[in-house]
Amino acid sequence: MQDRLHILEDLNMLYIRQMALSLEDTELQRKLDHEIRMREGACKLLAACSQREQALEATKSLLVCNSRILSYMGELQRRKEAQVLGKTGRRPSDSGPPAERSPCRGRVCISDLRIPLMWKDTEYFKNKGDLHRWAVFLLLQLGEHIQDTEMILVDRTLTDISFQSNVLFAEAGPDFELRLELYGACVEEEGALTGAPKRLATKLSSSLGRSSGRRVRASLDSAGGSGSSPILLPTPAVGGPRYHLLAHTTLTLAAVQDGFRTHDLTLASHEENPAWLPLYGSVCCRLAAQPLCMTQPTASGTLRVQPAGEMQNWAQVHGVLKGTNLFCYRRPEDADTGEEPLLTIAINKETRVRAGELDQALGRPFTLSISNQYGDDEVTHTLQTESREALQSWMEALWQLFFDMSQWKQCCDEIMKIETPASRKPPQALAKQGSLYHEMAIEPLDDIAAVTDILTQREGTRLETPPPWLAMFTDQPALPNPCSPASVAPAPAWTHPLPWGRPRTFSLDAVPPDHSPRARSVAPLPPQRSPRTRGLCSKGQPRTWLQSPV
Amino acid sequence: MSYIPGQPVTAVVQRVEIHKLRQGENLILGFSIGGGIDQDPSQNPFSEDKTDKVNGWDMTMVTHDQARKRLTKRSEEVVRLLVTRQSLQKAVQQSMLS
Repeated sequence: MQDRLHILEDLNMLYIRQMALSLEDTELQRKLDHEIRMREGACKLLAACSQREQALEATKSLLVCNSRILSYMGELQRRKEAQVLGKTGRRPSDSGPPAERSPCRGRVCISDLRIPLMWKDTEYFKNKGDLHRWAVFLLLQLGEHIQDTEMILVDRTLTDISFQSNVLFAEAGPDFELRLELYGACVEEEGALTGAPKRLATKLSSSLGRSSGRRVRASLDSAGGSGSSPILLPTPAVGGPRYHLLAHTTLTLAAVQDGFRTHDLTLASHEENPAWLPLYGSVCCRLAAQPLCMTQPTASGTLRVQPAGEMQNWAQVHGVLKGTNLFCYRRPEDADTGEEPLLTIAINKETRVRAGELDQALGRPFTLSISNQYGDDEVTHTLQTESREALQSWMEALWQLFFDMSQWKQCCDEIMKIETPASRKPPQALAKQGSLYHEMAIEPLDDIAAVTDILTQREGTRLETPPPWLAMFTDQPALPNPCSPASVAPAPAWTHPLPWGRPRTFSLDAVPPDHSPRARSVAPLPPQRSPRTRGLCSKGQPRTWLQSPV
Repeated sequence: MSYIPGQPVTAVVQRVEIHKLRQGENLILGFSIGGGIDQDPSQNPFSEDKTDKVNGWDMTMVTHDQARKRLTKRSEEVVRLLVTRQSLQKAVQQSMLS
């Protein structure tokens, strides 16, 4: 059976390669070749793995490669079909109306992914003595592009699964569908009875037939994940870890927002699945999109502008249409050097643009006017282009922009910030990860400094030399003076940045301040507090520390 | 380290505005101040909140008495302070990280 599978697999690979070659689609062909090589590498690595954690990483790579190969194959099929249909049939649209306007592409970025878990203190956890651990990761697909997040180890001390990855898709259209799939695998060997007590072990082994049969069926159902049929791309190492699809969802333009949102997850596995995790049923993330029309200039050229309200002063400018603004610079170079434009005209969904007629009477041809409503006022700018062709191309650019804004909707209100994802570090030692919840033990009387301390330590402190003014705080003794008659209101006595611990307030030790209006201040502190001045006659040396109520 | 008393220094400050309380026929702030250029800093039991300016008046080079007077002017109901404290530096670092 295995031999037949191998033969089928080889034939499939051959077919795929041939198809890619025949299409002469070098880009897709190159990507396919790359994935096939990666897949071979992952298979070899998996066979050579001795440790479970390594096997988990290798299996994950294999799963991602398989998904990519299948998706590229699907894309190839589609393109081949389109090519064949194009050659044979006479397209009915040839004599029809011109091609439909298509919206600009954009960059879609998903980040700060967090999946809440819902642990219950049921018998399941109490019986298994050891801490159960799972390895999980997310597979994200947009069009034919597939990307994965890092793998995270989960156990019942985590309240959420939080992924650090930023995943960016570069060529998305406004009708994009971003499919998100959560895969999980047991870190312990599936079906291992090493942790269970002997009585439980005998009980389990006697009923192994039924439960293992169920497990095997469950594994086969999700073998390789993302719907790949085992015949096409079988997983070679049968004894290795197996990832199961735990949940999925699809996000579209409606889910895009410059902020965090929660979306529902469709749960795909049930309790009998060996890798089942108690998912709460939602995923939180930040899904941002930057249409190209917002970040790239869509038109530029020389214009003559009549500033609103002034009849005669036509200024020559270099206009650049970018995002929701038409910037008019004094000179073409200013656009690149970051100089402020002479004039900025807003272009948004409410803007009205008209070509021509307004100034024909004044002998100025090829004009267009842009009107915006600001409250009760309407402000109109009139621009003159150089020629009929120039006017046509400006109008075309503006119509395209209006179309893009209608398609990309909320993404065109303001540019959403997208951080270029840093190249991911290789998988580190798979230590148990705590959630921020466990690290924060915040007491009620805390100072903002405590919170910033914890956050700084978590992010990793920058090794910066402290600024000079901090030296003003380093010369103080740490002890309170119990004889001090007045207390100072804000008081935790920290002399230097301490590792986080409960602050001590001294106001409890001191006598409450007396606010009777006195002209003179309180008596100076007893001189034994200043060992430095004891026995010395240093004249100019201050010897007191006065405190006064104000 | 490099702080020399009496020399100008640049620091991160926080603006604090306090409205005085009425106690009898007096306006008070409700806390005490300690120190001054004429005091011994090594006897300071606390190390928080050094005041740089009070209502525009420079406080970095004042004696204890002068400081007290500036804070207790009968005619002023509101005191605006520029205060520096160590934890401000951590807040700056944190905002630079994010």
